[in-house]
Amino acid sequence: MSEPLVVLDGVEKRFGDFTAVRRADLTIDEGEFVAIMGPSGCGKTTTLRMLAGLETPSAGEIRIGGRSMNDVPPHARDTPMVWQSLALFPFLTVRENVEFGLKMRGIAAAARKARALDWLDRLEIGDFANRIVDTLSGGQRQRVALARSLVTEPRILLLDEPLSALDAHLVIRMQGVLTRLQRELGIAFVYVTHSHSEAFAMADRVVIMSRGEIAQVGAPRAIYRAPANRFVAEFVGRNTILTGTVEGAALRTPIGTFALPAPATDGATAHLVLAADILHIARAADPAARNAVEARLISEEFVGSIVTLFLEAADGTEFKVQMQERALTGLDLHAGGRFHLTWATDDAHLLPEVPA
Amino acid sequence: MKPRLNAYALTFRLPILIWQALFFLGPLLFMIAMSFFLVRNYRMEEAFVMKNWERMLSRGFVWDSYWYTLGMAALASLTASLLAFPAAFALAFRTSESVRRWAIFLLVIPFFTSYLVRTFSWYVILAESGVINAGLGAVGLGPFTMLNTAFGTLVGYMTLTLPLVVILQTVTLAGIDPSLIQAARNLGCPPWRTIPSVVLPAAKTGMVVAALFAFILSFGDFVAPYYLGGSKPPTLPILIIDTTKAGQQWPRAAVVAVIMMVTLFVIAFAAIAFAYRRRASR
Repeated sequence: MSEPLVVLDGVEKRFGDFTAVRRADLTIDEGEFVAIMGPSGCGKTTTLRMLAGLETPSAGEIRIGGRSMNDVPPHARDTPMVWQSLALFPFLTVRENVEFGLKMRGIAAAARKARALDWLDRLEIGDFANRIVDTLSGGQRQRVALARSLVTEPRILLLDEPLSALDAHLVIRMQGVLTRLQRELGIAFVYVTHSHSEAFAMADRVVIMSRGEIAQVGAPRAIYRAPANRFVAEFVGRNTILTGTVEGAALRTPIGTFALPAPATDGATAHLVLAADILHIARAADPAARNAVEARLISEEFVGSIVTLFLEAADGTEFKVQMQERALTGLDLHAGGRFHLTWATDDAHLLPEVPA
Repeated sequence: MKPRLNAYALTFRLPILIWQALFFLGPLLFMIAMSFFLVRNYRMEEAFVMKNWERMLSRGFVWDSYWYTLGMAALASLTASLLAFPAAFALAFRTSESVRRWAIFLLVIPFFTSYLVRTFSWYVILAESGVINAGLGAVGLGPFTMLNTAFGTLVGYMTLTLPLVVILQTVTLAGIDPSLIQAARNLGCPPWRTIPSVVLPAAKTGMVVAALFAFILSFGDFVAPYYLGGSKPPTLPILIIDTTKAGQQWPRAAVVAVIMMVTLFVIAFAAIAFAYRRRASR
């Protein structure tokens, strides 16, 4: 294989005056789990639908397995998709739903049935084979949709926000089912979602899209620790962003001058991205700290063992501090209280100014 | 749970119950009773005799008429469904929402004019010297006899039912979740195959109800078989009229009417049961 499984080469999609996807270049390898993430309207679903052939690119080319897909109709592509609405056929039984793709390929009834039942068993819904789809629970229907898409043994599976309709605890379980399936089958998954946690938990690589453009592509950890631009820094995780002017090895901002973790052009505008978990909070000022800010506590968000504190500096900059609930004892948290925030220079991420 | 009679519900349901009792159930019961009455010296007398039933059920021409009417109504139902489907399909899947709205409005317009007037306009078109035969004559064909034939009757039935069937089918098809069709395509279904594999199964209920309406309307129609079909052979509605005219035989006409009612009940019930049947697993 000289070429990756999927290649998007300068792909664009326009709907009238609106450009949904702009000059997208992306490759997806055999057996890779890629998540495409972004806010609604960023073009992620349009990109997925172009892979399935449900939308035709206005410009550029999509190749799958080295073959140009631009003129290949959806039914001839073998790019099954799991739909946000699941789109299960309500007039068929669970088993017949799973058999659908095999029937379209002209596979004999007995073989069809055997393979469908196999997949239903594999996804632990074999008992429901003869039920009508809408008598099943959300999680069970999800598994039917998966079985229906995988029964034809494709090399690539497209998933369009498949877990968005499920309860939180089911989402976690289905994430486990999906990652396990993907590893066992060794096929590529292209997973569209607006949820950070889903994308970061499952994907080998995450593609972040914003207003029709690919903002960053990388491993989840790399994107989290080193966002490539302001959009990604704001969209991913809970980052505090300080903007200022470079002065030697420091950044001058309205609320203080802070050390830069990397060299930057003198006099240029730059941003410091502070992840919520690198900030240290204390009641008293630490005279030894290189980077320190005083801020007022606005509110806190308590999610089990992790607590996020929202603080405001003198000029209104919002700081987000994430820490273990245990570490908060003795801090005497109350809204309006004044605290000192510090961080280690190397933990911050330098973001040179790029056109937003 | 035991159904509870509450005053609020009753207040709002009572008018419809009274209406149904007065104008549907009452006349129906009277009609059934009348089928047992006697006619003597051209006057109807209250009685309870089986004479009318015995006479009507033993006459060959009644049964001929029955099967003919049933067959024609079934043919009309099938023809209307088939003729309406391409139009409904195009309106549901190939046009914008606003075009669909206008089309449905235009399909309602035929109901503004009298059905009788619309039927008579077919005279001009179907007659020996009518529009169609003039056109065919110009290229050396015909003339064809279309009036006073079963074909004429069918044309009349279409005039009555086709707009309604198109509307019902369009609404049904437009209601199909488009992602079902896309999902089918995504799973390897070529475009033409989506109709038998997805569209028709998903639209089954509405399609059957539309066909049922065409059947009911055609089965009870008097105008088309009388004016365009030439009442040869007479359908059951024509038989009813003829029977009442011939010697004030209202009780015998009532027998035919009751037979028609029973037939419609059975067919409507079967059709609805079929339309809403959840498929059992094979």
